[in-house]
Amino acid sequence: MDYLAERYLRPRKIPSTACSGCGLGQVHKKILLAVEQSGIGTDDLVWGTGIGCTGRQTFNTWKGDNFAGTHGRVYAMAVGLRAALPEEKKILLTVGDGDAFGIGLSHLLHCARRNVGVTVIAADNFGYQSTGGQYGYTTPQGFVTDSSPYGTREPGWLQDGADILDILKSAGATFLARHSSFEGQKAVDSIEKALDNKGFSLVHFIYPCVTHFGAVGLNSRDNGKIVRWFEELFSAKNRPGRGPHVTSGITHDARGSRPEFAAALRSRTREIREGRHVQA
Amino acid sequence: MEVDFEACKACGYCASVCPVKVFAQGTDINKKGYAPYRAVKQEACTGCLRCFYMCPDFCLEVTGSARAGNIGGKT
Repeated sequence: MDYLAERYLRPRKIPSTACSGCGLGQVHKKILLAVEQSGIGTDDLVWGTGIGCTGRQTFNTWKGDNFAGTHGRVYAMAVGLRAALPEEKKILLTVGDGDAFGIGLSHLLHCARRNVGVTVIAADNFGYQSTGGQYGYTTPQGFVTDSSPYGTREPGWLQDGADILDILKSAGATFLARHSSFEGQKAVDSIEKALDNKGFSLVHFIYPCVTHFGAVGLNSRDNGKIVRWFEELFSAKNRPGRGPHVTSGITHDARGSRPEFAAALRSRTREIREGRHVQA
Repeated sequence: MEVDFEACKACGYCASVCPVKVFAQGTDINKKGYAPYRAVKQEACTGCLRCFYMCPDFCLEVTGSARAGNIGGKT
């Protein structure tokens, strides 16, 4: 176990039950590096999780307080917590692509609309991998999966001009970034900024599933080949018409531009109690 | 450079990104049934930390002079 796991994680949860070569641990590690960089202690942050590969591997790993949401509903629980907890207490949520961009999308959009002070780490492995490798909302069109043996017909959220981060920006998110799990310090810095934001932040991580997406979609479990495919995915020379179109980095930084949900709620309540409110 | 023998799942990311071939897969099997990688060329390590950022299982510790000053760098 390395020093990060020793300092921040519960020892009985490490090593995780993730498959060999799963990129989720790379995302998990970058979160901890950002936590370290931000000077956040285990008492300063509450960690919520969703369902699926991401929820399972990160659930209850944090040495501080943890909670688990039902599939796609962890944001609704976080809104309640945000209203109840002191402003300085951070809330971090680790969710998968189904949690974020599928079943949970409506909750996620409303969380962004209200600019709720939470940091969402959306760890995306291009489909429902923990249930056997069915296609999901970001699976690139045309790729073979367990539920699309002739290739997916539906376009994903990351192609044909669509980008899920644009939708979140329109909804009101105040910090958005995207990285591959293979990236180093640049990805850590993005998470640090996301944690620094008083409002709604989301960092989208695309990570490899060797067992399903690699073996079936890319026809290989060889991690060297998978690393090269990811490099190509994030490069400017992306294959037109086949893969999704993504770039790495911060896509939207509007920290401090809108009132945070719980702070605005507290302020409004105080105004009403003191009779200083103006009827809208 | 230390690799935690019991925590390693032998994914091989460390070896695939190391520019100076510090890592090689061993033959001993750990409790999980994997044959973990080992740091066989410690002296060649430049402390670039590519392996550290890539290791998904919290089993790789870059220590001493190799680590100094590189966390938070440009990797």
